[in-house]
This record gives sequence, C-alpha cells and structure tokens, in this order.
Amino acid sequence: VIQRTIISKVCVYVLCPVQFSLPVSDPSRGPHFTGCRSREQETFRCWWSAGIFQNLTEPGTLRVFYQTKNALSEWQECPDYTHTVKNECYFNKTFTHIWTSYCIQLRSVRENITYDETCFTVENIVHPDPPIGLNWTLLNVSHSGLHFDILVRWAPPPSADVQMGWMSLMYQVQYRVRNASHWEMLDLESGTQQSIYGLHTDKEYEVRVRCKMSAFNNFGEFSDSILVHVAQIPSKESTFPTTLVLIFGVIGLVILLVLLIFSQQQRLMVIFLPPIPAPKIKGIDPELLKNGKLDQLNSLLSSQDMYKPDFYHEDPWVEFIQLDLDDPAEKNESSDTQHLLGLSRSGSSHVLHFKSDDDSGRASCYDPEIPNPEDLAALLPGHSGRGDNHPLVSRSSSSIPDLGVQQTSEVEETPIQTQPAVPSWVNMDFYAQVSDFTPAGGVVLSPGQLNSSPEKKKEEENEKKIPFQLVSDGAYTSENTARQLSADVPPSPGPEQGYQTFPTQAVEGNLWNGEYLVSTSDSQIPYLLPEAPPVPILPPVSGYTVVQEVDAQHSLLLNPPSSQPAICPHSPNKHLPAMPTMPMGYLTPDLLGNLTP
Amino acid sequence: MGLSVPAVAVLLVVLLCLDPHGRVGSAPICAHGSSGCHVPSLADLFDRVIQHSARMHSLSNDLHSEFEQYFLPSKNHIRKIYRKCHTSNILTPNGKENAQKLAREELTEVILKLLMAWRDPLFQLHQSMAHQQDFNSFSSNKALEMGDMAHELRKGVEKVAEKMRVLGMLGNSVTGLSAAEAMLPLSDSGEAMSDYELLYCFRRDSNKVQNYLKILKCRIVPEHDC
Repeated sequence: VIQRTIISKVCVYVLCPVQFSLPVSDPSRGPHFTGCRSREQETFRCWWSAGIFQNLTEPGTLRVFYQTKNALSEWQECPDYTHTVKNECYFNKTFTHIWTSYCIQLRSVRENITYDETCFTVENIVHPDPPIGLNWTLLNVSHSGLHFDILVRWAPPPSADVQMGWMSLMYQVQYRVRNASHWEMLDLESGTQQSIYGLHTDKEYEVRVRCKMSAFNNFGEFSDSILVHVAQIPSKESTFPTTLVLIFGVIGLVILLVLLIFSQQQRLMVIFLPPIPAPKIKGIDPELLKNGKLDQLNSLLSSQDMYKPDFYHEDPWVEFIQLDLDDPAEKNESSDTQHLLGLSRSGSSHVLHFKSDDDSGRASCYDPEIPNPEDLAALLPGHSGRGDNHPLVSRSSSSIPDLGVQQTSEVEETPIQTQPAVPSWVNMDFYAQVSDFTPAGGVVLSPGQLNSSPEKKKEEENEKKIPFQLVSDGAYTSENTARQLSADVPPSPGPEQGYQTFPTQAVEGNLWNGEYLVSTSDSQIPYLLPEAPPVPILPPVSGYTVVQEVDAQHSLLLNPPSSQPAICPHSPNKHLPAMPTMPMGYLTPDLLGNLTP
Repeated sequence: MGLSVPAVAVLLVVLLCLDPHGRVGSAPICAHGSSGCHVPSLADLFDRVIQHSARMHSLSNDLHSEFEQYFLPSKNHIRKIYRKCHTSNILTPNGKENAQKLAREELTEVILKLLMAWRDPLFQLHQSMAHQQDFNSFSSNKALEMGDMAHELRKGVEKVAEKMRVLGMLGNSVTGLSAAEAMLPLSDSGEAMSDYELLYCFRRDSNKVQNYLKILKCRIVPEHDC
C-alpha cells in the first residue's frame, strides 16, 4: 500500500510513463519497470516497482542495468539512483543518447534474477512538460449577450528548447463547464495561442492545455486549469430599436406595394386577369374568289354549320330569310337586283344581295349545303356576273338572289347549264312543290305556277341529277339541288314552280327548327324539302310571296295581293308589322330588328 | 501584320511550352541581385529546408504508425526493437550537445550522407509497398512522396552548403559525396530489410536530419536565444 502511494505520488509528480500500459504499477506482479520518461529529450528517468515481493523493497536489492545497443556495450548499471525518489534511475545528459536503443533490466543481484527488461529509444519516450502561463482575454460578446469568445494564451514549457528547435511542440487546448464530466477538445495548435468561440455567459469554464512533440504521439501532462467567466449583461435597449425598425420597415414596404399596385394597375390586370380573346371572324377574301381559290369559302361555309343550330333555335323564321341591306360593297349590284326584280329602288334602302360574310342571318328557306368548288364556280361573276336570281343563294358574294322574277337573263343560266355539276340551286329562282312520290323514290314535282323563265326550263332539262350527300345535321338543300335531284323524275310541265317536296321518309326535322335531313343515297331519292307539317302545304304554289310585314313574333306576313301563298316557311298566323315596300328578298336579322315593334 | 487573336494565342502557348523555364514552380532564386527579385537569405534557405525536413519526418511517422497499428500489434515486438539500420555505421551525434560541438562542415556532411544513403532504399520501399496489397494506395503514395521529399531535401541542403561555402562559412573540407556512400540497406543477417525495418530506420534518420538542420541553422544564422 505504501508502495502504491509512493508510486502514485511519483506518477503525479514525475509524469507516469504512458508507454507502459499501466499508469500505476501492478501489485500482483513481481518486480517490474513502471515506466521511463524524458521531459526535454536530453535526460530521462526510469521507475520500477517491487510488486508483490515485499522482501525486495529495500533499496539496493533491485538494480537497474542498461545497455545501449549502438555500441554493443556491456550491461552497465544505472548511472544515478535518485535519492529523493524511490525506485528511480536517472540518466543525465551524458548518458542519454538520442536515436539510440536502450534496453534496461531489473535485476536482483543477490539472486541473479532478471525480473524485467524493456527496450526503447529516447525520442519515443519524450513527454513534454505542461505549458506555463495560461491566461485568457475576452474577444467579444455577442449582441444578444448570451455568448462570448475568448483568446487563450500560454508559453511553452521552460524545459523544452523550442528556440533552437530541438523540440517542436504542438499544443492541445481543452475546456469544459466547471465540474462537468466531459472535456471539449480543440485541434492541435502549433502556436502559443488559441481562440475559443461560443462560450455561454453566466457559466464558469475551465481551460487547460497540454503539449507533445510534433510527429510523436506522447502527450505531456495538462497544465493547471484556469477559470473563465463572463457575466451576462442584460441589454434591453437593443431590442427596442429593432422592433421599431421592423415596424417601420413593414409599413414602408406596404406603402411601396400599394403604390406599385396602383401605378401598375393596368399591367397587373393584364397579368392576373388576361382578357379573353375576342372571336375572330374571318370574311371571305374576294381576291381569292376571283382567283378561283375556293378553299376559304369552303371552309367558311362548312363552319357555318356550327352556327346554324343555335340560330335556328332562337329565331326559326329568320333562318329562312336573309337580307343584306347594308353592305355597301354590294351596292353596285343592287342595280342588277332592281333590274331583275323590276323594282324601283326609290326610298328603299334595302339592297338585296348576297351577304358575303357568314354572320348574317340565315340564307333562305333551304340552307344550301356545302357547295362543291365547281358549284361555286358558277357563282363567280366571271361566269355570269350576277350569279343568280335564286333567293337561296346565300354564300356567294357576287350572286344576287332572285326573288322570283323570272327575268333572269339567259346569260346567267348558261354557265349553269354548261356545268352540269353545278347545283342548279344556285340559280334557282323559285321553288317547286313536290306533289307526289314515285314508287322508285322519285319526286314528282307539281306544275309550277310561277312564270318560269325559259332559261330555267333549260336549266332543268340540262341539269343532271347530282348525287350528293347531305349532312344530316341541319344541312339544307337548296331548291336547286332538289331540282337537280329530281331531274330524273319525269319532270312535270311546270316544274319550276313551287316546292318540291320529298318523300316523307326523308324528312326528319321540321321546318321550323330548320333541321333537314337529306338522304344520302345515290339514287334519286333526293333531298328533302322542308315539309313543315304545321304549315299546311299549299296546293300548287306558284312562286314567291312578297314579305310585307314582320309581326311582333318575328313572323312574316306575306303579301296578300299576290294571292300566292307564302312558300317560305313562316307562320302565317302571325301578324307582321307594317313594312315599307320592299322588294322580295331576304331579311337580315338586323333588319329584322328594325321591323319589330 | 494583323495577326488574329487565336494565332497570337497559339504562338504564346508554343513559346511557353518551348521555354524550359516556362513552367511555374516555386519562387526562383535570383542569380543577380536585381531590384525586382527577392534574393532569399541564408536564413530563408534554412527555414525552407527545415520545413521540408519536418514534413518529411511527419510523413515517415505517419507511415510508421500505420504499419505498427496494422501489422505489429504485439507488445513483445515493440520491446525487441533493436534494429541495425544500414545507416548505423554513419557516425552521427547522439545528442544536442554533441551536435553542437560538431563542426559545421561535419554536421553538414553528416546530413548529406544520411540523405544520400536513403535515396535508393526509399525507392525500394515505395516499390515494395506499391506491390503489396496490404497497403492501400494512400500509404504507397505517402512512401513515394517521402522518397521525393528526401531527394529534394538533399538538393536543398546541397544548395545551402553551396551558399555557405560562398559566404565563407564553410571550409573546403566538405567532400563531395561519391556514389560509394550510397549503400544498400542490409540487415545483420545480410538479408534485405523489411518494410517495417526500413520505416523504422527512416523515421529515426529523418528526425536526426531535422534536428541537425536546426542546430546548424542556429549556429550559422545568429538568432535570439539560439
């Protein structure tokens, strides 16, 4: 026990060797070396312990012998047994050879027993002394006053010759909260100062430092710990301006934002609520038509199908009438119309001509189906200029409807006659009433009562049946096509007049909603005409009736003096408001607006 | 002439490549004491050389520790650490005072001898470590770097010696090292030394070189407390 106390004292005072695994001697063993250390790489000491052999504790019984393997010298006894310390052998500068292997033996001379032997080189047992002069200075305190940084300084151990560089030292600083169990270790430092960051105020810290030789692994003992403490300074005034600054900043930002919004209102509206693009309605380029490019017209006419249903549902009667009274482009053709119709234009601002764009009212009683390009060719003025005297033609820009005056020039008929593919409806100027159906499905036209022009007769004779297919969803077939289809039917003497009605089977929609179904057979079943069940099919209809008035329900009142029943589908029951005399023709919806009371 | 920019660039590159001194390296020592050029003093030279030797020693220590950690865990082996290095027959001062007592020329010569003696063995060490699979590439790279550093350190010390000679600090007794000084590393039994032995010996010798250089500097360049 005494030996243990001595050795523990020795360990504390003289630095217990780290090279040996046990810091304190193992009492269960026999005599053995407890360690050898060098402090400055110039001298070294070795310690031993007798262990359990208590009878060997007397000084002199155990002796140390050493041998330097360099010169293969003999075993020499320890040069200096330290008197003040028990069981210590001291090698001074003379006996210390660096970079030399030493082997030491612990012998009992009396018994000539070697209890322990160990070998080492001096530079590997160097444990430097602890640094001295450890102190700290405050670097700064954080704004919140909760943390602070310090700079720790020290001096190298005086025993180590660092000026010459005989020993180059590396230092390690450790710190902890006072009386805590775990030490924080910082990185090795080759200088003699180091900063410690992030310490808490109002906490007491301990800081200590130790050193070792660079490129060696033996640390020396720790220096004495120093206490670090910084009192917390409550700073309330720091928070106040912060809050104020924050409030002002927010207010300023809000004002800026409001100003921005108000100044850029238009742009913001455009960004956030983009305007819905207005529908683009393209018209027909007359130039294209002149050049024979009918694709645009085709597309336009085909797209017309979209408009029709809605329009029909709203204004059943308007679909059958088209009046274009305001188009100045057509004014030059009004003379033709007038001429054709034999009407004076005095006081009449209504011009009858075809509307070239699509958003006019419905064209006629029969909505013409999509014409073939060659059909339209007939409409070109080049062919006959005026196109037409048929009221049904609605899409041609240059055709002029003929309201039944049978004074169409023969010229107009000719192109139609020469182009058998052209639906003759283009030039049709009246309706023919279907009076009967043939068993074969043909249509027998009733003898017309209108004075038919000789041209029309020719047209009828020359026209071929045109097999065509009609779209069933609201496509109209014009009278001309009807006529053409019925060409195979043995024509009645006056086929030009009146309607040509169809076999019932082919009729699907009724007149009022404007849906017409056309059978799509190649045979002679032709088209269907609006049968208009609600309207009593008039016996031989002779021709057109002048529309005199439009009543409040948007019905047309036909001209009574003509004594010809109205052909165009309308409701004769309704009373039309008085209208200025106008040539027979079409009413455009906007014109209609003028008429309604 | 109107050379285009790419042509000029190509010309510059060619000139740089052709010029043997065009490579960027460490700051060259100016031959003439021209104004724009900083001529390193002997103290600067010594500092560089000492830094170099410190790094070399640190590398050798790392390698040695790795070797000991992975290959020699037994304590008994550590105890029987007497090794006869191939440089043991070079007489070297064994302490600070001994080294301080030694003449400058001899000290310089010892340093150069040691460095010269390790030129080939270090190369062998690197080769042997590179071929063994036990070592990872990091270790063999360290060995290679160590060999290069030893070589450069030798060159640096030779330059320092030359400078000292020019300055008259050294006598002419420093003999040129002949090729005979470079000896093969042989152990006692005559066999080639193992890697561990080489590492152990070199660690010791590099520490010697480092300390000798420090002592030499202290003696040649007067400094405070030296």
